[in-house]
Amino acid sequence: MPLELLKEKCSNAIDVVEIGATASEGGSRDRVVKVGGQTGLPFLFEEMDAPNKPQVAIEIFDTEPADWPDTLKEPYGEALKNPVDWAIKCEKEFKADLLALRLSAIHPDSGNKSADEAVKLIRDVLSAVKIPLIIIGCNDEAKDNLVLPKIAEAAKGERCLIGDALQKNYKTLTAACLAYGHNIIAESPIDINIAKQLNILISEMGFAVNRIVINPTVGALGYGLEYAYSIMERARLAALGGDRILSQAFICFVGQEAWRAKEAKTTAKECPEWGNELERGILWETVTASAFLQAGADILIMRHPKAIELIKKNIEELMKR
Amino acid sequence: MPKFKIAFYPDNKTIELEKGKTLLAAAISLGLNINSSCAGDGVCGRCKVLIKKGQVNSLPTGRITAEERKLGLCLACLTMPLSDVEVEIPQDSRVDLSKISEEEAYLSRLKGIYTKPETIEKSTPVINEDIFIHSPLATKLYLKMPKPTPEDKISDLERLYREIRKIKSIQIIQTGLANIRNLGNLLRSSEFKITVTLGNRNDTTEIVLIEPSNTSRKNFGIAFDIGTTTISGQLVDLNTKEILGTKATFNQQATFGSDIITRIIYAQKEEGLERLHHAVIDGMNNIIQELIQENKIDLNNVTCCVCAGNTTMIHLLLRVDPTYIRREPYVPTANFVPVIRSQEAGIKLNTRGLLACVPGISSYVGGDVTAGVLACGLDTEEELCLLIDIGTNGEIVLGSREWMISAAASAGPAFEGSGVSCGMRAAKGAIQRVRIDKSNYSVNYTTIASAEPQGICGSGYIDLIAQMLRAGIIDKNGKINDLKSERIRTGENGKEFILIDNVYISEADIDNLKRAKGAIYSAAAILVKHMGFSFQDVKKVFIAGGFGSYLDIENAITIGILPDIARQRFKFVGNSSLIGAREIILSSNAIHKAEDIARKITYFELSTDSGYMDEYVASLFFPHTDLKQFPNIKF
Repeated sequence: MPLELLKEKCSNAIDVVEIGATASEGGSRDRVVKVGGQTGLPFLFEEMDAPNKPQVAIEIFDTEPADWPDTLKEPYGEALKNPVDWAIKCEKEFKADLLALRLSAIHPDSGNKSADEAVKLIRDVLSAVKIPLIIIGCNDEAKDNLVLPKIAEAAKGERCLIGDALQKNYKTLTAACLAYGHNIIAESPIDINIAKQLNILISEMGFAVNRIVINPTVGALGYGLEYAYSIMERARLAALGGDRILSQAFICFVGQEAWRAKEAKTTAKECPEWGNELERGILWETVTASAFLQAGADILIMRHPKAIELIKKNIEELMKR
Repeated sequence: MPKFKIAFYPDNKTIELEKGKTLLAAAISLGLNINSSCAGDGVCGRCKVLIKKGQVNSLPTGRITAEERKLGLCLACLTMPLSDVEVEIPQDSRVDLSKISEEEAYLSRLKGIYTKPETIEKSTPVINEDIFIHSPLATKLYLKMPKPTPEDKISDLERLYREIRKIKSIQIIQTGLANIRNLGNLLRSSEFKITVTLGNRNDTTEIVLIEPSNTSRKNFGIAFDIGTTTISGQLVDLNTKEILGTKATFNQQATFGSDIITRIIYAQKEEGLERLHHAVIDGMNNIIQELIQENKIDLNNVTCCVCAGNTTMIHLLLRVDPTYIRREPYVPTANFVPVIRSQEAGIKLNTRGLLACVPGISSYVGGDVTAGVLACGLDTEEELCLLIDIGTNGEIVLGSREWMISAAASAGPAFEGSGVSCGMRAAKGAIQRVRIDKSNYSVNYTTIASAEPQGICGSGYIDLIAQMLRAGIIDKNGKINDLKSERIRTGENGKEFILIDNVYISEADIDNLKRAKGAIYSAAAILVKHMGFSFQDVKKVFIAGGFGSYLDIENAITIGILPDIARQRFKFVGNSSLIGAREIILSSNAIHKAEDIARKITYFELSTDSGYMDEYVASLFFPHTDLKQFPNIKF
């Protein structure tokens, strides 16, 4: 008798979120990136369908990052000094599908750039590249509340993904994203309940739930990856079990976490027994990313072009039916 | 060791203090009332005092702002004198330990905790005195004994036993040496007409007291509920079962910490246990004094008292070290305390009077809960019931006549009016009911005794938060929305919503109340889930605590403190702990029943349950993160 596999069918699907708008939709992007839509747990194609594959966004900054190791700086070279050049390099050379621009220089303690400067930068980047844009604030509540609404207005029609909304600070950003037609990132501190609470709060302002992307907060390999993984898995199981308020795509800031690990940064000179730092750093980021793909990540924010290349290959293989 | 003179104003009291000791220690030694929720750890920031004169060394703290420092304010617990010092204790740094007046006590608002319990809305089975046979803890018998004759010359003591046994069939009778020593003279001087007081002591009967002449009509007892925040006492005529009066006061232990854990830690400090013990017995002795004076009763005719309290309170009452209650595996020194002489614990009744403690269940579910179960009759119910005590420790009991399981939620004193900016106990002038007009945010409120508003009590806070949610003033996370209204302002602890002049609620207050309600709801939810039920299976919910019947059920469900089930399933039992203690003082049957209940209830440890933290965080939302659990709440 042939063995028949037991198949699990889920009652609910993950919301599809569309990032970027083409000219016909009122924007100026050359493509619309769609994520979400899965009807089961990641890559179990026997049981589910996944109309959209996970996407990788390259993370760039509005100022040259101070704490990056040389191995990470090297592929971008001089472009690191100019965000627009950096954006172009990502699109042309590294074939990025998405760009995540972090406005770290608007922070009062590191640059304190004005809203006008930030708006100008966004306009420049939008005209320099054609791929959809993710825009992240500086983590200073007051400054983000001042700058992000202006950014949202300047990028009106482009259907960006803007973040991060927090439980204690979500109203201003939600209102701005609602007014100018953007998607929003809702960040929660590795806590499924707070993730859900924030989604309720945002949706109660009249914001469509399917335009929320959950940032569940992750940790790098060796730095709490398992915990973050289990929270994402639980949220996904709840979503597939019918919880509409948790049925959103996940965005994972993998690059930021992986490159903070000493295992990724320490040079071979400092620690000879750890071996070549370039290979080590790239793999640290890749392995972290691949774990979160299995947990259900829809958008990976990454840094090293080589790691991105490896993970894209991994995605292609995982998506084979 | 150099000593400095410390003078406290406006109390005008002075003490010599060794260098290196804190001003808080000095104030406590003088018995001054000073707020110290964290018991002197420098955490709560409530013991602010003003240095008027002299040099001090004050350890740095984030609880004093730069402005306050300039004014000369510092935390008494972190400040040591370097010279003679004059200190002023501001009113804000005092604990409100005022007594609850007779007038307040009989207001309908205080149904339950302060009113005659029989006026409480009866639940079924009714709290019925007739359930238990009338056989009080201490019984008086008037005996006209036959005098000894040549034909009848058994000893005085045997003669006494013989006369007692003619009335009551008691096999074993015990008598203390003190009574035997006096017996010969007393019998003869009183012409063999005496009143004997028999006490039920742990299944044996003791001759507690022998008095000349007939005092049998004057036999009184006092039932106590010793809460972490409030102590209540009720005077009962043990012959007629009549309730003669009820008094309540704040537990003065609050000076040493607002929750039991802080107090247990305080008990380990030098003289800590002693002070905590005195704080509770002082409160109880004051209540006794007031009750007997008002009723013109001689203290000698108060022959017994019964105390229901959480395990820590009972330990402190008896001056038993509570240390091991908070150390793993959380074992109390005693759950079943034998009946003792009240004098041994420092409770002033008749010098030979008895003190019984209602048996407890575990370190964190005490005799007050046993008494509560006894009072509401949960242990006799056919169907699944839930008892929720909305107090500082938030005890929950789930079960029926078949089985019972309990947990303690550690809700904190927010609903008792402590730890919130304008909180107060349910007393005259407390805002108890709030309605907010959605269109212009105008506030309509009623206060207890229709007095000038002084603050907000528990039921007022539940109403207020529910109304703010419905009016869209706060979001489901409890944060005040950016609205154009002069009622909203920004204060020290974030935004505030003003009800009237100086009465407001801040975002920090809402957070505090949210945690309290989350603790209670999640504890109940975990118990129900653990036993494989849902709230829909619970047929009756007994609500105990100071709210009495004034709690607005709809609003309590709106904020998510109570489950969203059919409203008629909720029953108010008021201060069920006090009612249970009274049952026990009036009937030895009730004592045995209480012992059975305490043995029958299983204690469930929430802190080691893997799901509790998750459930708790899910409850930190209005009404709840899982909106499906509150299908009827929409705003």
